[in-house]
Amino acid sequence: MSHLCSCSKTASDEKYQDPFQLGRKDLKNLYEDIKKELLVSTVELKEMCDYYFDGKGKAFRPMIVVLMARACNIHHNNSREVQASQRSVAIIAEMIHTASLVHDDVIDDANSRRGKMTVNQIWGERKAVLAGDFILSAASLALARIGNTTIISVLTQVIEDLVRGEFLQLGSKENENERFAHYLEKTFKKTASLIANSCKAVSILGCPDPKVHEIAYQYGKNVGIAFQLIDDVLDFTSCADHLGKPAAADLKLGLATGPVLFACRQFPEMNAMIMRRFSKPGDVERARKYVLQSDGVQQTTYLAQRYCHEATREISKLRPSPEREALIQLTEMVLMRDK
Amino acid sequence: MAPFPLSRAQRPEGAAGGKAKQLPPARTSSRQPCERVAAAPGFRVRVAAVAEGGAGAARLGDTMALRWWWWRWCGAPSRRAPALGSLPRLRPPGPGCRSPPPPAPGAAVCHFTQRSSTFSFPKICNIFWRCSKTASDEKYQDPFQLGRKDLKNLYEDIKKELLVSTVELKEMCDYYFDGKGKAFRPMIVVLMARACNIHHNNSREVQASQRSVAIIAEMIHTASLVHDDVIDDANSRRGKMTVNQIWGERKAVLAGDFILSAASLALARIGNTTIISVLTQVIEDLVRGEFLQLGSKENENERFAHYLEKTFKKTASLIANSCKAVSILGCPDPKVHEIAYQYGKNVGIAFQLIDDVLDFTSCADHLGKPAAADLKLGLATGPVLFACRQFPEMNAMIMRRFSKPGDVERARKYVLQSDGVQQTTYLAQRYCHEATREISKLRPSPEREALIQLTEMVLMRDK
Repeated sequence: MSHLCSCSKTASDEKYQDPFQLGRKDLKNLYEDIKKELLVSTVELKEMCDYYFDGKGKAFRPMIVVLMARACNIHHNNSREVQASQRSVAIIAEMIHTASLVHDDVIDDANSRRGKMTVNQIWGERKAVLAGDFILSAASLALARIGNTTIISVLTQVIEDLVRGEFLQLGSKENENERFAHYLEKTFKKTASLIANSCKAVSILGCPDPKVHEIAYQYGKNVGIAFQLIDDVLDFTSCADHLGKPAAADLKLGLATGPVLFACRQFPEMNAMIMRRFSKPGDVERARKYVLQSDGVQQTTYLAQRYCHEATREISKLRPSPEREALIQLTEMVLMRDK
Repeated sequence: MAPFPLSRAQRPEGAAGGKAKQLPPARTSSRQPCERVAAAPGFRVRVAAVAEGGAGAARLGDTMALRWWWWRWCGAPSRRAPALGSLPRLRPPGPGCRSPPPPAPGAAVCHFTQRSSTFSFPKICNIFWRCSKTASDEKYQDPFQLGRKDLKNLYEDIKKELLVSTVELKEMCDYYFDGKGKAFRPMIVVLMARACNIHHNNSREVQASQRSVAIIAEMIHTASLVHDDVIDDANSRRGKMTVNQIWGERKAVLAGDFILSAASLALARIGNTTIISVLTQVIEDLVRGEFLQLGSKENENERFAHYLEKTFKKTASLIANSCKAVSILGCPDPKVHEIAYQYGKNVGIAFQLIDDVLDFTSCADHLGKPAAADLKLGLATGPVLFACRQFPEMNAMIMRRFSKPGDVERARKYVLQSDGVQQTTYLAQRYCHEATREISKLRPSPEREALIQLTEMVLMRDK
C-alpha cells in the first residue's frame, strides 16, 4: 500500500486515509467467517473450498462493500457501525464471486490464479464443479438467513448476471459497433454487477432513501467497470509473475477486450482475427503486437478514468465522512494498480 | 410366502428392544399387491419415531431402516439367506424390456416390475386400470390426470424462465425440459398443494406461489442433474445423450449454473423468506449429497447409514422440502407441514431405493440410461450392501469402489444371487407405508388418495 500514500502527498493525513486500513477491522475475520459457512467433513473437500479463502486475494469487493455500508450509515444517521446484515452481504458477495471464479476456471480451463494453481488443475475439473456449487449453495443459505426479500432479490440478480456474463463472453458480435456495446455489457454482468448490487444491498440495509440506493449502485457499477477495464489493460502491459495469472490470457481465450477493440480501429486487419477468436497459430502474438503499437491501451485507460470520475461524482453526493473519502481514494487505486 | 420376517417364536428377545411398535394394520384394499409380502403375522418393525423435521429428520435415514438392517443381520442368530426354495415365485419382467435377464430360481427379479407399462407423462391410464380394479373410479383417480391441468404448461413456463438469446445456449438449457421426463416431482408437489389446501379450507385451487414451487423444484432438480452428469462423466439420461456429451463439459457447467440461477431468481420473486430458506436448504443438500457419494465408509454398519443419508440428501430432500413449502403456503398448521415433509421424505427415499434396484434388474434401453451404472461409478447401493452381508468377499470390492477389471461383473452376479434386491425393495415398501400413514392424517380428498396411489406407483415402476 505504500505507493498509494505517496499519491496523496499533498493531502492532510487525517482527511485521506488508506481505505484498506479503514475497513480492516470489519474484514479482519472475513475469511474465517466464510470458512465457517463452508463446514464440510471431508478433508479433501474442505481443502478445495477453503483454497481461495486464504486471505491472500485482494479483498477488493468486501472492502468496497464495508466502506459503502459505513458511508451510507453515516449519511443516514451519523452511525459508523456496520450492521451484522451488512457484514453478511460482504461475506456473501465474496463467496458468490469465488464460486463463479472456480467455475470460470473450469469453463476456461485456466491453470493459475492469484499466483497459484487453480482448483481444477489440482483436484480435477469435476471436483471443481462440485466445489463451486458448494460455495454457491453456502452463499445462498447465508443470503436466505438475512431474511430480507429485497436483499435476496438484489443479490440473486448478481448470480444470474454472472452466468449471463459468461454466456456473453462465449458469444461474439460481427458488427464492430455492436462489439463494443457487447463488451461493455459483458463487463457489467461479469464484474460490475456484483459490486453495484452489493453496494446497493448495504445501502438498502443502512438507509431508507432510494436516492442513496441509486448513488451506491452507480458508484459500484462505475468502479466495477473501471476495475475490469484496467484488468484488461494489465493483461497487455504486465507480465505473468507480477499479475499472478498468465498474461495475454484474454487473447488466448479468444476474447477481444478494450485495448483490442480500440486497436482494431487503427489496424482493420485485426478484424479477421477477432472473428476467428485468435484461433490461428500466431494470431495471439500478432494481435498483441498490434495492440502495443496502437493507442488501444491508452484509450482503454482513459475510458476507465472517465468511469472513475463518474463514480466519484456520484459518491460525492453523500454526506462527507472518512469512508466517503476512502471510496474516492479507491477509484484512484483502481486506476493505478498494477496487479 | 414372505422370505424374511421371523415368527414371534423365532425372534430373539430384546434384539430390537425398547419400544417396538406393531405396524398399523395393512391397508386391505387390493390396490396394494405388495401387502402380501409385508403383513406377515407376528412381524414387528420399530417404526421410526419421527422427531423434528428439517435436516435432523434425515439423520442417518430413519431409525426404521437402520433397525431393520440390524435386526435382519444381527438380531437373528446365524441367519443366512433363506433357502432358495422359500423365495416367492417371481415373475420375469414384462414385454417392455427387450432382453430381460433370465430369472434364475430365487433370482432377485423384482416382483413388482412385471408391469410393462411405461411411467411416462402422457401414457397414464394403463397402470391405473390395473391398480384400481376393485376400487370405484370416483374415489381412486390417476394422480397424473389429477395434476395434469396444473402441470400442462409447466415446461413451457420453465422455458420462459430460461430466456437466453443465443440459440446454442437456449438448446442446452431447454434440453431436459422437453416434457419427456417423468415429471414425478412436480406432480407430487401439485397434488400435495391441493391436498393441503383442501385440508385447510376445502379449497382445491393451487395458488400461484405453490405452482412456482413446483417449477422451481423441477429446475433445481434439473440443474443438479446437469452438473451430476459432468461430475460422473455420464453419457446418457432419459433415453438420450447428456448435455455434457453433446456440448462438452464446460458448457454443461455453465448451463447448470444458468438453470440454477433462474430457479433462484424465481424463488426470490416468491418473496416469502420461509419458503426461500426451505428451498435453499435443498440446494445445499444436493451438493452435500454428491459429496457424500464421492466419499466412502470403511465400517459396514456405517456404510448403510451413510447410504441412507446420501439418499436423503440427493433425492428425498428436494421432494420433502418442496412438499413442506407448498404446505406452508397452503395451510398455517405446523402439523400439516410436518406431514407433508414426512410424506415427501419417505416417498423420496423409496423412489431412490427402487431406482437402485432397477439399476440391477432392468436393462439399459428400457431404463433410458445405462444399467449397472452405479457399480461402474463405484457406488455401493442398497442391493449391494445387503448382498455383502451374504457374500463378505464383496467387502474388498466395495472398498476399492469396483475399480479392478471384472469387479463390476462379479459384484453384479453376487447381487443377483443374493436377496439384496428383495431386501431393498422390501425396505422401499416400508418407506411407502410410512408415507401413506402420514398422508392419511390429512382430510380425505381425491388428491390425498392420489398421493397414496403414487407411493404404489413408486414401487411398481420399471424405469
